[in-house]
Amino acid sequence: MRVAISVVLIAILLVLAGSVTAQSVRPPGDAVNLEDSNTLGPSNALGNLSDSDIWRDFRGGDPMNIDDIIRGPIEGQMMTRSGQLWREIRENYIRKYAGWFPVGVIGILALVYLLMGPARIKSGFSGKTLPRFNLNQRVAHWFMASIFIILGLSGLIILLGRPVILPIFGPTVNSIMTSAAMQGHNLFGPLFVVALLWMFIKFIKGNFFQIVDLKWMIKLGGLIGGHVSSHQFNFGEKTWFWMVILVGIVMSATGIALEFPWLFDDLRVLQASTVLHAVGAILLISVSIGHIYIGTIGMEGSLDSMLKGEVDENWAKEHHDLWYEKVTGKSATDDSTEVTKEESGS
Amino acid sequence: MSYIAFVEGPLFLIAATVFVLGALWRVIGIIRIGRKKDISPPKGSEAVGFIRGNLRHFLPRGIFARRTWVHIVGGYGFHLGLFVLVLFAAPHIVFIDERLFSVPWPALPRWGFIIAADIAFAGLIMLWVRRISDPVMRLISDWDDHIGSWLTFLVMFTGCLALQESHVFLRATHMLFVDIWLIYFPFSRLMHAFTFFLSRGNTGATYGRKGMSL
Repeated sequence: MRVAISVVLIAILLVLAGSVTAQSVRPPGDAVNLEDSNTLGPSNALGNLSDSDIWRDFRGGDPMNIDDIIRGPIEGQMMTRSGQLWREIRENYIRKYAGWFPVGVIGILALVYLLMGPARIKSGFSGKTLPRFNLNQRVAHWFMASIFIILGLSGLIILLGRPVILPIFGPTVNSIMTSAAMQGHNLFGPLFVVALLWMFIKFIKGNFFQIVDLKWMIKLGGLIGGHVSSHQFNFGEKTWFWMVILVGIVMSATGIALEFPWLFDDLRVLQASTVLHAVGAILLISVSIGHIYIGTIGMEGSLDSMLKGEVDENWAKEHHDLWYEKVTGKSATDDSTEVTKEESGS
Repeated sequence: MSYIAFVEGPLFLIAATVFVLGALWRVIGIIRIGRKKDISPPKGSEAVGFIRGNLRHFLPRGIFARRTWVHIVGGYGFHLGLFVLVLFAAPHIVFIDERLFSVPWPALPRWGFIIAADIAFAGLIMLWVRRISDPVMRLISDWDDHIGSWLTFLVMFTGCLALQESHVFLRATHMLFVDIWLIYFPFSRLMHAFTFFLSRGNTGATYGRKGMSL
């Protein structure tokens, strides 16, 4: 009995001694005070600001404000706000509508061809030809055409693969085509710069605008008010030449930025490049369809100028009378060609 | 058997066999024709003429150089670019190492590949558009010339489309065109790759024997 009482007393003393020891341990300096926590929450994780305010601070401003985007990122900004506007433009405008421009041009030209047919040489082929483009010019033209077709097709696949190819052929075909198109586009891109320079050198002569081009423009190339005079290149051809050169420079510059992104430290340059590159491409592709139409089935006798380098004299008289007079020294209104044709019995 | 296994396996074996045997057959055939015996006393060395004839044709004649610069630039660009691509593109070295000779060698860096491919493509396109643009070239060209040009273009083009190496289908398509090209090679003007030195050498040897300067 005495032993049992002693054990109980020792146990009580040990428990009391333990509690005293526990109370002597100080809490760490960063320990959370439960009373404070009940008021403000653990670590004040939610803060005093709304979610919108927080994200606005992260972005450093309104993501859709073009002035803020141009001004560039401010110090301490954590997110690239220009991305949202870029994505809006790319998805809601470019990808949505870009494909309709070439399709629309093809539709209009098909309608023109069905209603009006090709533009014939009114006085027929004379059987006599004039040299129009030399071999180097023709090679430069077809070199550019080859590169342009490869870049145009691969570019359209890259741009419109997701909205056009994916729903029709599925993700596997789209993935294969996009991968292939991207490699082809990147590889042939630098050749476009070479082709552009070559075209510029070979075709700059004769492509400066003149007063007579104003008349051509007012008469819409002869659609209203009858015949319009033209030198070697008419207003439409000159406009196409300068469009290729100027838009081509933009395409080259933006293409270089996209192919070698590490050359530019600013993401906004790349975002602007994708937009300009896509808009320029759609413009060039759409107008080139008209150029191809006029150069092939749309106008009788025009394809020979780039295939053989020669054009029929009557074609030259009707479409480029001032050039005809310059190179032959004869009047374009003179009907000597017709006489020659009759005499030759052709 | 999968598409890739077929074009890299049995079809490649058949194509390579046709290529090697066909090319050998044609080269040996040309050599066996021999040359007509010339009984006139020689005024120079045929062997020296053979070598000089080959070397001299690497440079254009002065009076033609200006008129044919597209041909010269395109020709050299295409052939040199193609050799670099065939021999130093990393996937080609891996393929040769794993399937043919087990002898690897250093590959071009990616930027070097891009430059070589661009030069080769530019050269090939220049040569072909000149072929269709020049009235004389157009007249003397036939289907064989165009098929040879286009097959070579498609081999190069499909190879470049497969550069990302993300889809077996693209690699297999490249190999399919390689196989077709190898089979077509011995029976076409693509054989000039092995016969050009014989024709140049023959002309050079004839001139050399006559003591004519090249």
